[in-house]
Order: sequence, then structure tokens, then C-alpha cells
Amino acid sequence: MNASVRLSLASLRAHRRRFAGTFLAVFLGVAFLAGTLVMGDTLRASFDSLFGNATSGTDAVVRSADAITTPGEAQGVRQPVDTALVRKLEAVPGVAAAAPNIQGAGQLVGANGKPIGGQGPPTLAGNWITDPELNPYRLAEGRAPRASGEVVVNRGAAEKGGLHLGDTTTLRTPDPVRVTIVGLATFGGEDGMAQVTFTGMTRSDAEKYLTARPGQAASIQVRAAPGVSQRDLVDRLTPVLPKGVEAITGQESAQENTDAISARFLSVFTALLLVFSGVALLVATFSIHNTFAIVVAQRTRENALLRALGAARRQVAASTLAEATVVAVTASAAGLAGGIGIAAGLQALFPAIGFPFPDGNLVIGALSLLLPLAVGIVVCVASALMPAVRAGRTAPLAALRETSVDTSGASRTRAVTGAGLLALAVSLTLTGVLLSPSLWLAGCGAALALAAFVVLGPVASTTAVRLLGAPLDRLRGVTGGLARRNALRSPKRTAATASALMIGVAVVSLFTVFGASLKATMDQTVSRSFAGDVAVSTPSFGAGGSGLSPALAPAVQRLPDVETAVGLGRGVAEVDGRGRALTVTDPAALARTFDLGDVQGDLRTLGTDGIAITRKEADRQDLTLGATTRLTFTDGSTKPFTVRALYDQSELAGDYVITRAAWAPHRTQDADTLVAVTFRDGVSTADGRAAVEKVAAHYGNPDVQTRSEYAQSSAGGIDMMLTLVYALLALAVVIALLGIANTLTLAVHERTRELGLLRAVGQTRAQLRAMVRWESVLVAAFGTAGGLGLGAFLGWVLVKASDGASDSAFAFALPPARLAVVALVGLTAGALAGLRPARRAARMDVLRAIATE
Amino acid sequence: MTTMTAARTAARVVDAVKVYGAGDTAVRALDGVCVDFPAGRFTAIMGPSGSGKSTLMHCAAGLDTLTSGSAWIGGTDLSSLDDRRLTLLRRDRVGFVFQAFNLVPTLTVAENITLPLDLAGTRGDQEWIDALIDVVGLRDRLHHRPAELSGGQQQRVAVARAFAGRPDVVFADEPTGNLDSRSGEEVLGLLGRTVRHTARTVVMVTHDPVAAAHADEVVFLADGRLVDRMESPTPERILDRMKALEVPS
Repeated sequence: MNASVRLSLASLRAHRRRFAGTFLAVFLGVAFLAGTLVMGDTLRASFDSLFGNATSGTDAVVRSADAITTPGEAQGVRQPVDTALVRKLEAVPGVAAAAPNIQGAGQLVGANGKPIGGQGPPTLAGNWITDPELNPYRLAEGRAPRASGEVVVNRGAAEKGGLHLGDTTTLRTPDPVRVTIVGLATFGGEDGMAQVTFTGMTRSDAEKYLTARPGQAASIQVRAAPGVSQRDLVDRLTPVLPKGVEAITGQESAQENTDAISARFLSVFTALLLVFSGVALLVATFSIHNTFAIVVAQRTRENALLRALGAARRQVAASTLAEATVVAVTASAAGLAGGIGIAAGLQALFPAIGFPFPDGNLVIGALSLLLPLAVGIVVCVASALMPAVRAGRTAPLAALRETSVDTSGASRTRAVTGAGLLALAVSLTLTGVLLSPSLWLAGCGAALALAAFVVLGPVASTTAVRLLGAPLDRLRGVTGGLARRNALRSPKRTAATASALMIGVAVVSLFTVFGASLKATMDQTVSRSFAGDVAVSTPSFGAGGSGLSPALAPAVQRLPDVETAVGLGRGVAEVDGRGRALTVTDPAALARTFDLGDVQGDLRTLGTDGIAITRKEADRQDLTLGATTRLTFTDGSTKPFTVRALYDQSELAGDYVITRAAWAPHRTQDADTLVAVTFRDGVSTADGRAAVEKVAAHYGNPDVQTRSEYAQSSAGGIDMMLTLVYALLALAVVIALLGIANTLTLAVHERTRELGLLRAVGQTRAQLRAMVRWESVLVAAFGTAGGLGLGAFLGWVLVKASDGASDSAFAFALPPARLAVVALVGLTAGALAGLRPARRAARMDVLRAIATE
Repeated sequence: MTTMTAARTAARVVDAVKVYGAGDTAVRALDGVCVDFPAGRFTAIMGPSGSGKSTLMHCAAGLDTLTSGSAWIGGTDLSSLDDRRLTLLRRDRVGFVFQAFNLVPTLTVAENITLPLDLAGTRGDQEWIDALIDVVGLRDRLHHRPAELSGGQQQRVAVARAFAGRPDVVFADEPTGNLDSRSGEEVLGLLGRTVRHTARTVVMVTHDPVAAAHADEVVFLADGRLVDRMESPTPERILDRMKALEVPS
């Protein structure tokens, strides 16, 4: 073994405690990363096998070839196929069976009157396919639906809603349908396809409630006769298909479904987790760097002796690096094992929280093994690089100096570089945000701002700690004063320690500010463009929910209290070659309930061939009042529409408005997303609301909300996202906390003699503990303050950049209460981090401390 | 005046036994020592290396506890005190001057001097502290940090700190051990003058006969036992006595 390695192993053995913090930081970061990757792969594989199992009996799927996809949607809307085709397909040689697959949205109401699901995954309804091979669902209990009103429900949905065999409940299609549960089903052997709910009805019920006209289906599932391969089957089917209809193999269809889930859910989920493991590892970098810097500083004497005895610079540096490598490899390996453990734990946990997760083995790909290991080792060794080089530079005659005040880090060069960086960052972001909106420029600026904060940290720490600690002298006397001065002792160290927390807090505040801004935007949108008194909607998030019955708005309109009730439906068409969402409504009533801004032309005259467009969209396509544009619908037909009105506000009304009459020929399953109601003069909101609620009860009991309630519920998904983000960022804060604790422990060790002296001349244990704790709180306060400032700035940048880059206007909001909570969490983290070092310092034996060399 | 205060005892140990370790490796650092340090006097403890002189000081000052026997500061039995009370006693009634690393590097000279008072949360006697600062001659250095002072200056600050709270007794552990002879002379002169002019009590551990000669009385320790006491010592007499001790008869 060579000398450097032997030295570093000996040193590691002697100072295991010092590296505990580093080990933990790397361990946590790597475990999170590995857990994320393994989890992602396992989920993907299990969805693969889930679909494979469920649809193994389907050898080919026949469907219309074109889909219209609107922005922000993963899967497009397809035109239905004619069910008459089933007969024709059954006649093709090699076909064993064919069945139409009618699909739509249908949300079940649970035993407690609350809708089941709708918070992300789709809520589906369809016909119960009688051929068990073609049906992806299997009957687990009960029987198939035979009469109208009988349904089979997947077992997961029934359990969630507290429904049992024989129960009668409401299915919102969105028209409320009374249904009786006659069977419970499984999907691919599980209680459901993840959180997706499915209700299977008789074919005639499905045609009645889920399609615009009988005789239509989303697709036709085909099973091959023995000896006919999937490919063969598709080849045989293709010649008999009408134009615009295609056949794909069952495998391709399953793959498409898995891909769709991957794109819509898994990739987003994994990407989010990866971002947070990145943040955690970035925070860890600072902790690790700090530990090695301190260890090298403490070992100056030892290294000077080595150099005097003839060790080359390279050898001294190498021994420090070798130490880092040993820690990196062990911690990364342990982290990898931990990450796989986390994934296994989650796999066990998911079914417990009602998320069906196929049993299969964990999928551990080469990437999930190598990437976390590599990242952990690189982060750890790279963080130790600078301290190692500095160790090598130790002069052989390094003075045997007492630890005292270290003023390094507050140099003029650093101040100038930092200020320059900051100026550049601010001007870049401002340019990217205000002058020529560009997310790229703003992003570069934001990254530079972070770098500038890190560079400026040591310069700022002196002033900041002095300022933040000013009340301590008065409040805590000499204990507080000593704590403040200890925090000021090494600006570089204080800054590096605080930087870790700063990054964590900055990301937390960034999301907090962005979330609050999104909410404020929603609020502003509703208060600006919603002129109604109450809104009826089914709160849903993502692809779930079934919307509102189109019959609701006319029913509400008939109430004596109501002035106007307007339902907003959603349609899809291709305009100017791109998929667009259409608002299908009564345009005249729309104008009375929503503030559309400056309206040009007449919304009452749209008829069946007129369209109203926002001014922005009209300008983009060079359309003026009276011009004609062509809309292609999902049924393949293309119709010219005349622009009869232009308006300004698009936030709730959408960019394109057509009448119900114009949409009727092309409609699929009808649903309104929102019914806006205005009361007659003199009707109180409470009275009007009660009347509307009474009517709504007959239509699947959707929520009736006042304007402010509506604005709040529109933002409900944001809170959910924020909670998730906070939970994930807790890891970064924990790593930062470990960093502070580690630095303090090392500092306490370094100041043993001084602490002994303090104890000898009369500092009580309690005073000593308080001193260490307050130092910790001060460092944390510095990091928190920096993080809040940086986070608020980055939040502002993100909001403004989004504002510039997207069509809709974003409002910026600073949530003072939430940010105060973030600040409190930062300070508490500091106090917690100080606990252990403080206890250790207080436990020290006075005599031994004084005698320490 | 001298005779009046000499009647009182500032600190004493009775049948002091201190054993380090246990079983075969047990070492009796103090083996039944009885000694009292009269108030208003400057006493030096001398003895060869390993004679137990530092242990005696540590136990008498409440920094360490005896295996058996008792240690008293004034009328207080130290063995009856828990760690907190012991700490408060050190803070309020005892002063310390160590060989080195006497000062807190982050505090200024003035703050180091008033440290025990500040820890107690009291202001102390400002006139007394003012007078002390003049006696140690550091008025122009009050706002400097320890790192900006010479070794001798640092020890003078430590002496001022030790006396700042008007303690019953000041313990000095080799206070000149790290100083050149001229600086050492200054510090010793300072200790002696403070005892004589202000009726304070100092107990100093040293191995240097020249330093011990500044004391009013020298007590000699060997192998954990008190072997001799010498009034009005001179360096020559001390040296002779020490030589006799180091060559066991």
C-alpha cells in the first residue's frame, strides 16, 4: 500500500466521527437518486406487464386513424368508428371475435355522496365487453350487466367509495344515471389500472349515455383465431377497413397506453424527483466541501510535519483525496443500497395507501446502478478537490498557531468578482424578463444569481451575522455575544455552511412564491372575467371527472331567482392546422356573465356557421371581422366559419367560441365544465345559492361555489403540488442541517482549549450549550435570509418569464405568512442542528480541555 | 494588617488523596496532603515533575475532584458542590492564570478582563477594574484582540482577569512558563504587588526557583506528599531544597 493511502486510512479510522456528516450527506443524496430511478423503472415495467396481462386477449385494435391533439394533452381525441363495422370484421377469415369498445367519462358517486377519484387519473365508463378474452377487465365477483342500469365496477373504485355488490348509486356521465352494482372487476389481476376508475355498463346503456349517437364506438377490439398472429390479423383486416380507419396490433395498442401513462404521469413524476435529488446533492456538495476544508485546516500542523519530513505536495494532496474517495465510495454504495431499499419500501407502501402496485420484482437497470454511484463519487471527490490542493500547499514551516480569527474570504477580489457576477445576473434576468422575454436568458441569469450569492457569501456573512446577531448581545448577554463572534470567526466557513441551507430555503421560497403567484393569477382571472354570482363545477384535476350535464344550465335558468345561467362546454377542432380547444356555449349569455373585454362585432349572431375569436388569435392568423376560417372536427368533416365577433379576455372563456348548434353535428360525449349563474337584482347570494344547489342535486350533486370559493378551488391543485414539493425539499433541508451540525462539531473540537478556559473561569454548562446553539441559529439565520431573498427574486423571475412566454397574464404575489413559516423552519433547523454539538461541547471535561495540545 | 488577614485561610485541603486509574495501574498523585493557603499571601507550590503539584492546585481550585479528603475555598467544602455550583464558585470566588491560552481570541482585552463578571451578568466594581487596568499597564490596549498582543501582555491581561471579580483566591499554573525572563519577571512582580497592595491571595504552581522566590512562602511537594514549607524564600535556598528533593536520601 502506498504511503498516502496508508496515511488517509489511518486518519479516517482516527476521525470517523468527523466524516459521519459527509457520509450521511452523500448517502442521502445517492439514496434519493437511486430510489427515484429504481422506482421509475419498476413502475414503468409494472404498467407494461399490467397492460400486457389485461389486454393479452386482444390481438388487434381497429380505430380511426387521425387524432386531434390540443396543446397540453398527451393523447388526442379520435373520431369514433361505426359499430356496423363489427359484423364486417367478424366475417374476415382468421377473426375469432370482435367487439366494440365504447368509452367515455363517467364518475361514480360514493356511498357518502362524494364523487370517487377525479384528482388526476381518469374516471372512465364504457360498455362491458361480453367476450372475456377481449375485455381487459375480469369479473372477480358478481356477474356481468344484463339489464339497463346494471354495472360492473373495478374493485379499487368500489372500495374507495364504500360501495358493495347490490348497492345503487349515481354515475355522472355527466347526466346522472342511477346504477346498480352487479359485479366487481379486476384489471390485469389488480384491483384497478392504478387509480383509474372504470364502470362497465350494457352496450345499449353505453351507447345511450357515452356517445352522441348510437352505433359509435371508440374502437373495435378483435381476437384472432388460433394460428393467426397479431401481424397476420392486422394484414387481413386492413383491406376491409373504410378510409380513415386503421388497425394496429394488440401489442402496439398496449405499448401506446403504457407510453401515454409514462408521458403523462411517470416522466413528470420521475423528472420532478430527479430535480429534487439534484438540489439535495448540490446542498450536499457544500457540506462535504466544508467538512474537508475544516479537516485540512485542523491538520495544518500534521501536514506541515509531513512536508518537513519530505512528503511532496502531491502526496499530501493525494492523501486527502484518498480519504475523500474512501468516504465517497462507501457512502455511495450504502446510498445505492438505501435507495433500492426505499424503492422496495414504497412498493410495499403503495398498496397500503390504496394505490394498486403489481407485485413483480424491483427493476434495477444498469443506469440506476451506475448513475447514482458515479454521481455520489464525483460529487464527493470534486467537493474535496480544493481542500486537498490547499492541504498540499501547506508550507513545511507552517506556524504552530493558535486558532483565532480568520479573515480570509472577505478579500476585495471576492467582493468585486461577486458584485460583478451579481450585476451581470441581474441585468441578464431583467433583460430576459422585461426587455426581450426569454426563458433561456432568465434561466441563465437565475443560475448566475445563485453563483453570485455563493461567491458573495463570505463577504456578506460578516455584515449579515453582525446585523442578525445584534439583538443577541442585548438579549443573551455575553453568551449571545460570544455566539455572534464565533459565527464571525471564519466568514468563509460560515458562508459555506449557510450556503447549503440557503440553497434549500431558496428553492422552497421559489416554489412558495410561484405557487402563491399562480393562486393570485387564478384569483385575478376569476375576479376580472367572471361576472356571475355563483359557479357550478365538479372540482377535478388532470384527466379525472366527468364534467356537468348540459341539461343543468337550462334547468338552473328556469329558476325564478336566476337572471342568466350559462354552461361552458368544451369542444375540439383543428384550426389553422393546429388542435384547438373550443368553448361551446350560448355566446349571448356568455357575454352577460363573463367580462370579455372590448367586444367587436355581435356575439348574438354567431348561428351555426359563425365563430368568435380573441383578438390575439385573430391577429396571429390574420383574421378580421367577416373573414372565414376552416375548422376540421374529429369526425373528419371540415366546415368554414365566419368570424362574427372579436373579444379581448380569454382566461375563462377560451380563445374560440362557437354555439351549441354549430357544435351539435360534431359532438361526442357532451359535458359542460362550468355553469356560471347570475341572480336577479334583490336575490341574496345565500338564497340564490340554495336554490341552485337544490337543482344541482338532481344532476349528480356538483359543487355550487361563490366567486371566491370558485377561485380558491381552481387553485386547489397548486396546494397539492406545493405539499409534495415541500415534502421532497425536506431532504435538502435535512442535509443542510447535517452540514451545520457537522461544521459546528468540528468547530467545537477545534476550540476545545478555549471552551475549557471558558468553563474554568465560570461559564456554566447551560451557558456553553446556549452559546453553541445560538451560533448555529445565527448561521442558519444567515442562510435563511439569503435563501428567502434569492428565492423571492427567482420566484419573481419565473413568474415574469412565464408571463412573457405564455399567452395568459401571470400575477406576482409574495405570501408573507408562508414565507414567515419558511423563515421559522430555517431558524428551527439551525436550533436543531446546534443541539448535538452543544451537548457534546458541554460534556467536555474542563481539565482535559485545558490540557489539550 | 498582614498579621490580621493571615489569620484567615483562603483555601485549604485536608487529607487530600487523588488516585488516577485503578488496580495495578493506579497512580496516587496526592497521598494525604494537608495544606492551607492563608488569605492575603502569595504562596508558591514547588516540586519535581510528577510530584503532584498541578493536581493539588486543580483540586484546591475546584477544577478536579479528590478521591478522598476535602478541599475548601473559604468556608465552602468543594466536595459538597455539584458541577453547576462548582462552576459558579469558580466564576465568583476564584481567579485563574494558566500557562498559555488564557484568553478568548474573539474577545477584546477589555472584554477578556470582565469575562467572569459578564458570565455572571454583573457589572462588577468599575473603580477596582479601572485601577487593575492601570496596574497591569494595558490601558492603551483595551480594544485590541489577544492575537495582537505579545505573550507577556497576554499574561498580564490574564492576571487582570483573574483579579477582576475580587476573588477569594487566584490560582496561577506556571504563569511564566511560556515567557522570556523579562516578561516573566513583569508578570511575577505584578502578582506580588497585587497581593501586597490589595490584600489578595495568590497560589502559584511553578518549577522555577526564581519565580517561586517572588512568593511569601513556598510549599514543597514530593511523591504526592507535602515535604516542607519555606518562609521568605530566595532562589538559592529554593534551589538547594529542590536538589535535596530530587536526590532521595
